[in-house]
Amino acid sequence: MKWIVDFFLSLKLTVVLLCLSMVLVFAGTLAQVDKGIWTVMDQYFRCFIAEIDLYVFFPRSMDIPNIRIPFPGGFLIGWLLVINLVTVHWTSFKVQVSGSRRIAGIVMLLLGILVTVGVMFGWGVAPVASTESDAFWRVFLRLGRGTLAAVVFYVACLLLYRKRAGMVLLHGGILFLLVGEFATALFAVEATMTIKEGETINYVDRSQQLELSFTDTSHPDFDTTTVVSGDVLKNGAFIKPAGLPFDIRINRYMINSNNPQPLQKISESLRSRYPQYEGYGSRLYVAALPEVSGAGGARNAPAVDVEFFNRATGDSLGRYILSLWFYPNFVNRSWDMPTNIAVDGKTYTTYFRFRREYLKSPSGNPFSVQLLDFVHEKYEGTQMPKDFASQILLVNEGDNIERELRIWMNNPLRYARRTFYQQGYLPDDSGTVLQVVRNDSWMIPYLSCMIVFVGMAAQFIQSLGRYLRRDA
Amino acid sequence: MRKLITNIIVVLFALWFFQSGVKPPKETSADFQLNAFAHLPVKYGGRKKPIDTLARNFLTVLSDKQSLRMADRKRITATQWLLDNISGRPEAMDYKVFRIENLDVLSGLGLEERKRFRYSYRELLPNLGKIDAAVRSAHGKEDRQRDLYDKQVIKVANKIFFYQNMMASFEDPTAIPTEQLMATVQRYIRLENYSIPLVIPRTPGNPRWRPLMSALLASHPAMNAVIEGHDISVDPLALHLNAMLAAYRTGDVELFNSELMEYGALLQADTPSVFEKLSFEVFYNRLGAFMKSASLYLLVFVLSLFGWLFRKEGLVGAARTLMVCAFIPHTLAIIARVLLSGYPPVTNLYSSAIFIGWAAVAAGIVIELVFRKKAAGMGNLVGGIAGFTTLLIAHFLSGDGDTMEQMRAVLDTRFWLATHVITITLGYMGTFVSGTIAIFYIFAGLFTRRLDVETGENLYRMMYSTTCFALLLSFVGTVLGGLWADDSWGRFWGWDPKENGALMIVIWNAIMLHARYGRMVTPRGFALMAVGGNIVTAWSWFGVNQLSVGLHSYGFTESASFWLMVFCASQFAIILLGAVPLRWWRSKQ
Repeated sequence: MKWIVDFFLSLKLTVVLLCLSMVLVFAGTLAQVDKGIWTVMDQYFRCFIAEIDLYVFFPRSMDIPNIRIPFPGGFLIGWLLVINLVTVHWTSFKVQVSGSRRIAGIVMLLLGILVTVGVMFGWGVAPVASTESDAFWRVFLRLGRGTLAAVVFYVACLLLYRKRAGMVLLHGGILFLLVGEFATALFAVEATMTIKEGETINYVDRSQQLELSFTDTSHPDFDTTTVVSGDVLKNGAFIKPAGLPFDIRINRYMINSNNPQPLQKISESLRSRYPQYEGYGSRLYVAALPEVSGAGGARNAPAVDVEFFNRATGDSLGRYILSLWFYPNFVNRSWDMPTNIAVDGKTYTTYFRFRREYLKSPSGNPFSVQLLDFVHEKYEGTQMPKDFASQILLVNEGDNIERELRIWMNNPLRYARRTFYQQGYLPDDSGTVLQVVRNDSWMIPYLSCMIVFVGMAAQFIQSLGRYLRRDA
Repeated sequence: MRKLITNIIVVLFALWFFQSGVKPPKETSADFQLNAFAHLPVKYGGRKKPIDTLARNFLTVLSDKQSLRMADRKRITATQWLLDNISGRPEAMDYKVFRIENLDVLSGLGLEERKRFRYSYRELLPNLGKIDAAVRSAHGKEDRQRDLYDKQVIKVANKIFFYQNMMASFEDPTAIPTEQLMATVQRYIRLENYSIPLVIPRTPGNPRWRPLMSALLASHPAMNAVIEGHDISVDPLALHLNAMLAAYRTGDVELFNSELMEYGALLQADTPSVFEKLSFEVFYNRLGAFMKSASLYLLVFVLSLFGWLFRKEGLVGAARTLMVCAFIPHTLAIIARVLLSGYPPVTNLYSSAIFIGWAAVAAGIVIELVFRKKAAGMGNLVGGIAGFTTLLIAHFLSGDGDTMEQMRAVLDTRFWLATHVITITLGYMGTFVSGTIAIFYIFAGLFTRRLDVETGENLYRMMYSTTCFALLLSFVGTVLGGLWADDSWGRFWGWDPKENGALMIVIWNAIMLHARYGRMVTPRGFALMAVGGNIVTAWSWFGVNQLSVGLHSYGFTESASFWLMVFCASQFAIILLGAVPLRWWRSKQ
């Protein structure tokens, strides 16, 4: 037992862990030359055991064997650092004061926690928050709230730890930051929202997940949509979705595919090996591509090669290629490319698309966003963008909200625990693309930044002052 | 008393040094009023600037220099070079301004390798077809498949296109026959999609800045016939400017000067605000404070090195005064950039280099002030060498033209530029300062007897203090960067290469401090780690940008990767040197 405690008590462990994290971060950076950011994140940072590709450390022109080296992953290093930090502080930074000073310290500590919780959950912040004036004040205000919490904590630490107050506080701040990032890694959700001018949209595209959707439009009053989650789309899988009269066989899942080209432009040798598809695949050429890299900013466009079978008769309904390129919101395109599948006299409109999530406010009422106007300014005499802005109408009938708001660069809208950012636009400025993020721990970095800053600054100034006084 | 006299002499020397080149060459009424012409407004890259700046930027893009040296060793200014070209003087074609260094490209063009690698447009003219073919083939390839030759050809071709666009935007279309008018209109519309100088300012009657050729074309008499309902809008500004250029071409001094006066008077009457800041910018250009400060910093370094090694306090004191004298114009020039561009001091790599240098010199001054006698000139040494190198780096980074460019929409948030970018840059600076002290520690210990016990302790203390502040600043800067990202697209930390680079500096500084608290390293070990900090910081500052090289940039970045490798190798060599057994050190501790 004792050796475990000793192991975690050692500063050597801290240094070793920090060195390991340095190697991991370096490898994870180099890996982004070839791989997408999300792949790198899963392979290096958001895991317990990372697998470092040997070739990342060498120029890509060299022929390096494809070896993966197991290495402590981001989560493992992070948790070991947390345990290390807590043990060191628990044993070597004991509270040395007693009596009323100790009580006052504990009261301040509780007050600090109260302030922190208040800041985190936005006490005193409007439910629909967008900016009318400069970003400047909004951010200052948030950092100011963080500083308030930090100062309360510093006073508590001064009462409890005297000279070591700064040291304890700054490590507390680091701990808070690590925990916050862990929470973000687990719970934060990123999505996008594409709206044409004048259109009203009540869902977001969860761009990290995919689904196959089948919409039956035969009923005059409503449409019925059945979705198949992207997780089950594996090579060779045979899926029998409930509620649909057909089965699906996945011939091939492609992690990335090309921008579809007209089939007649493709060389004869490639065309002869190209499967006989129905739908768009009969006119367009879709082929697998290697995964794109993170450094280039490009995105993967998965595609599936599927065959449908009538469940009742077992007959083939044809082989189709369904690519994310056909989904308009992927390419920021305004025209639509649905694939239609006919079974038993019904037509199913089919997409391979981002997972769709319908918007709801915390009270459970649905809400929607209408794009009134999109503005795109450039610097005079150049093609360089100066400003993008979306004028939107936010409507939530259940909560009695109808507000006209402006979302523009660095000035997001915060509503219903989500944040709506201006991200991009459709061709000819005919619509907007918003990034929609749901992350309940988003205030933690503001808080921990100021906590660490106050702690570190106090500590360094104190030690420098002591040194200079000693020799004066 | 002696100290006071030395200081006065140093200050006078600095004053004399900075004033040189500020005054324009003398012009009599019998000369072209080039100085006044240099003050005319033009809009390029989205920013209003004087012709002087435009000419300097253009010449820099083509030849990496701000003035032109002729064969007879005579210098001509950038403004004169520009005017000679755009007015269409025949000798302008012979100015050797195209810098082409790649030998394969040169032999492909049938040109001889020559000293300074500058070639004239006339020399390139017979080979334009060849360049065009080579560029087409290079552009046909995927970015990764392009070899060095392709990239160099693209670089040369870009210079030529740039030059041709510049010439075309000052063309005189008034003599164009009517039947070619439509084709010309189409050509000009295409040209206006590129970045070309818009030299005719907006006037009460016309809300846009326009290039000269389009403004002239609009007043072409035959335009009426071509476009129905076109009302001839004779633009007096364009006509005066065109007359000015014609007079210059024919050498008619009197006409040039009178047209120039009328042009200025007309503009002054219409929109006086257009002249705001222009003469200030011309002054800023002529002062050239950064390169002058760089030279003085080098002098500071050399003086202090002698002063420190041989313990000459007088020399160290003089160097300190000189450093402050160079620091003041350096500071003022940064403030001038802020005023002119309207952005906080750090917006691109160039300004980050200038700012890191400034902060390093400031740190040197602070070290001198805080440690007083104990510093013994170490602050000067660090400030001198860091100021000199960073300003030199900035000079090489200025090759792509205007260093006060407008920012893209995402980056255009002054608050974040002013907080995050400055803090992180100060963090870089702190790590570099600590690493520089460490290099002095290693060299002094290894090669001299100067590193006695007391000096060693003081240097260790300085390294430790700067590392502490570097950690503080780089941590806060990194987190602020994350907050910026959170505020812009809702992702505090995305493991993006640039973020990772900043994080590595934080981790490295944290490793150093923990190793010290845990008594795992001696002062010497700490110094070796501090030199390692230089590598980590250089990687974060430049290396990270190189990662995407294969994907979007060529040109200067390639030589930047080379120098980055050289720098890292040199730092590794210093670490190895510092790690030799202590009995080989000349300073016995």
